[in-house]
Amino acid sequence: MTDPLLLLQAAADTSRAYGEFPVIGARAFVWITAEVHLMFAAFVLGVPMFAVVTEAIGIFGGDERYDRLSKEFTRLLLVAYSATAIWGAMLVFGLSTLYPRFWAYLTTIFAPSMWLYAALFFVESFTLYLYYYGWDRWKKGRAKLGHWTLGILLNVWGTIVMFIANAWLTYMMSPPRDITPTTDPTTIKLWHAIANATWMPINVHRVIANVVFGGAIVGAYASYRFLAARTEEERAHYDWMGYVGNFIAMSALIVLPFAGYWLGREIYQYDQSMGITMMGGFMSWLWVIQAFLIAVLFLTGNYYLWIGMGRIPGAERFRPYTKYLLIVLVLGAIVWGTPHTMIADSKELAAMGGSHHPFLGALGVMSAKNTAVNLMILTTFLSFLLYRRANTRPVVPWARAGTIIQGAMFAVAAGVVLFYGIRGYFVEAIVRIGFSVYQVLAVLSCIVFVTVIDILMARGAQSLGAIRWGRMPPRSQYALFILAVTFTWLMGLMGFARSGIRQYWHVWQVMQDTSKYAATPALGYASKMISLCVLIFLSLVAFVFWLGGLAEKSTFVATAEGEKGARHVGH
Amino acid sequence: MWATNAKIVGIVLGTLALYTLIANKIPQVQSEVPQALTLGANVTPEQLVAAGEKVYTGIGGCTTCHGLGERAPNLLTDEKGQGTIGARCGKREPGKTCKQYLYESLDNPTAYVVSGYQPIMPVMTKQLSPAQVWSVIAFLESQGGTVDVTASDIPTTSPASPTSPTSPGGGGGAGGAAFAGGSTDPKAIIQAAGCLACHKLDGQGQVIAPDLTHVGSRRDAESIRRKILDPASSVTKGYEKLAGIMPKSFGTMMSAAQLEALVQYLAAHK
Ligand code: HEC
Ligand code: HEC
Ligand code: HEM
Repeated sequence: MTDPLLLLQAAADTSRAYGEFPVIGARAFVWITAEVHLMFAAFVLGVPMFAVVTEAIGIFGGDERYDRLSKEFTRLLLVAYSATAIWGAMLVFGLSTLYPRFWAYLTTIFAPSMWLYAALFFVESFTLYLYYYGWDRWKKGRAKLGHWTLGILLNVWGTIVMFIANAWLTYMMSPPRDITPTTDPTTIKLWHAIANATWMPINVHRVIANVVFGGAIVGAYASYRFLAARTEEERAHYDWMGYVGNFIAMSALIVLPFAGYWLGREIYQYDQSMGITMMGGFMSWLWVIQAFLIAVLFLTGNYYLWIGMGRIPGAERFRPYTKYLLIVLVLGAIVWGTPHTMIADSKELAAMGGSHHPFLGALGVMSAKNTAVNLMILTTFLSFLLYRRANTRPVVPWARAGTIIQGAMFAVAAGVVLFYGIRGYFVEAIVRIGFSVYQVLAVLSCIVFVTVIDILMARGAQSLGAIRWGRMPPRSQYALFILAVTFTWLMGLMGFARSGIRQYWHVWQVMQDTSKYAATPALGYASKMISLCVLIFLSLVAFVFWLGGLAEKSTFVATAEGEKGARHVGH
Repeated sequence: MWATNAKIVGIVLGTLALYTLIANKIPQVQSEVPQALTLGANVTPEQLVAAGEKVYTGIGGCTTCHGLGERAPNLLTDEKGQGTIGARCGKREPGKTCKQYLYESLDNPTAYVVSGYQPIMPVMTKQLSPAQVWSVIAFLESQGGTVDVTASDIPTTSPASPTSPTSPGGGGGAGGAAFAGGSTDPKAIIQAAGCLACHKLDGQGQVIAPDLTHVGSRRDAESIRRKILDPASSVTKGYEKLAGIMPKSFGTMMSAAQLEALVQYLAAHK
């Protein structure tokens, strides 16, 4: 008697395992809702970080403009929050109706965290309302500090919310090894599932990426306002805002590769065959595209800085150097992106899987790429330094010596990076893994020490004239747009990488995808989906910006202090 | 302002179009769900070829390398005046028919390395089931040659699971031929087992894993035997991070005589 019953049960299970969505299909629906939700989530996570930092600069640096800037962003957040929630609801609706069995599996394990997630989202929105609507109320003294604390809380909630969601998706990618297809999900301990191998690396990678993202979107917003500005003063304000956005985006971008490297290593350590799929298997071309996008980011960001020198009196002195910087950047980008070099050979080795050692592929590639990217990072940092120096002349007696020491530090750092990059080809993989650490350390310590020297050296420096904010050709503003679009696209691509490496598994080697969409599509199809998601997202963001403009004209208030404040920028 | 708006929209769309275009220009590899390919006893050559084409462009992952510039010889077009693969396969190795050569290319790719290329082709019999292997051979034969693969080529033993690359699929594949052709020549065994993909031995091979040239001075025969049969039994000092990489399948691939020959050979490397 039991057998037919079991059969019936099985049949019922199969029929309810997957739903179908009209026209575009179940997978496309979940793909789009998840990705757009994620982009908005990144937006509402990245922008508050931005807002809190700028508010703090306003409070502690005494520059009113930063405070207004901060408020202008918080206003955009209000609508963005609703958008995040709406897309999130659509995603849950999609998952629960189109992938009911998988959804049931996830909820069985993660239900408590899902409730916490919803609750925190609520608290977060509430904090946001207080933060925004209390802005003018709590403007002075202690109250202002309290207000700033609200902003910090907003970030704390947001980060926890993201960490929780990351637990779900990293569990899908790297479920703890003791969990097998036969493990009863009710017996899986929540924390055990949350603290899986890739959870922390993804948390860190995403937090940083979201800062970049926030900065990039802010930059795009500012450039739009700049182009639309009617008065000189307005233009100056938005020029400056675009600069700050770009500055934050680029600073965080510099750290991203390190975090990405860590994430990649964890994936390898968790499961080599997954690592092979990612770096050498059917996804190996994805990294060539990723390299291209990152090269675009670095080049565009630097290009913007170099144009920006045109508005700084005294920058002429540094102008000639930019072409050397450009050469390094382009060379770095080529090394990183070329598939038919020695780099590709080790990647090809990785494609062999089975009898070959996968670290060679991944880390061979990674360490060669690391050499390129480390040099690109150094170059970008140098661009910033020149920019910072542009309108000042140091007066401290040791200025000359200081500059020479700084130059030497750059030389040493670049030397270390190159040395280990080249040596990497002559040693065993196991030794090479360690090399990238030296490269990173050299670059990071160069950045730290050179910055310290620079700050000391700038004391009492003689000014060659204030930055002429607003004196920017429109092409610089279009560069900011390209940055924002590229970064958003990169996010979509990496999201595809993350879920694509699971291939035909909902939960890697635990729950198989048996739907008709189980095959993982090729990059061409994925790129169309990504472009569509980016388009949806950017259109909605444009709408949000437009709404923000309707509610209140810009926070820009013409004041005489704009000139005075300008000197702090970028310092 | 309209002009500016139009420009912005143009730049956004242009950037998106560029990225989409690039992503569509590169080789398109879709990751298929591995399927147990079941071909009946009366399967026609056409069915084999059709199934093989799917394997070739899909799960086999062949297009990751083949058809991509200098990485690997193009199989579907002419290669250095020798014709497409179906036309040139019979002329590669003297005494080997097209079918034998193609099987060898998939089962033991380093046995004959096409000149001008690096020996990076993976052992496909480890990753694909015999049915998949033979259908892809049929497909390759159809590219300029005659298809002579039949159902009798495909061993009736249950195929190795395509999802577990460590399964010793290489063994029984060639119509029942034993591992390394049954040879007890240690060099042939090492060649067939692919040890040199990771190890260096007498100046040959890769440097990922410990150099085996003097392994006999570090380990006795017993220890080497255990290491091959059960790689997890001991881990070489300094290579802890790579523990678990050495395949665990050698023990099931080789005959006892082959294993012994290999062990004695290595133990003599002092
Ligand atoms: C990692 C890259 C790679 C992959 C994946 C790959 N190959 Fe190859 N293949 C090569 C290279 C390189 C050569 C030439 C060197 C050699 O002969 O080993 C080659 C050679 C061949 C040859 C001999 C060609 C000739 O002109 O004689 C055949 C046949 C072949 N491969 C079939 C396949 C098939 C079928 C697949 C998929 C199941 C495949 N390969 C997957 C790299 C690859
Ligand atoms: C995929 C790569 C790989 C392949 C293929 C491989 N090995 Fe290894 N082997 C390793 C690694 C990595 C180590 C060191 C880590 C460890 O001890 O597990 C090792 C260690 C050894 C050792 C111990 C060396 C010492 O100095 O202690 C022996 C012996 C050995 N392998 C023999 C073989 C033989 C024989 C073959 C072929 C039948 C083979 N290996 C194939 C990766 C490989
Ligand atoms: C310059 C270097 C890098 C940049 C600029 C970069 C950028 C990004 C961005 C923007 C995201 C999306 C973040 C989000 O959704 O919140 C992302 C996610 C990701 N990155 Fe990177 N990354 C870099 C390096 C790497 C490396 C080296 C690896 C690993 C080999 C890697 C693996 C991933 C993965 C798997 C994700 C998916 C996480 C997800 O969104 O679900 N990244 N990266």
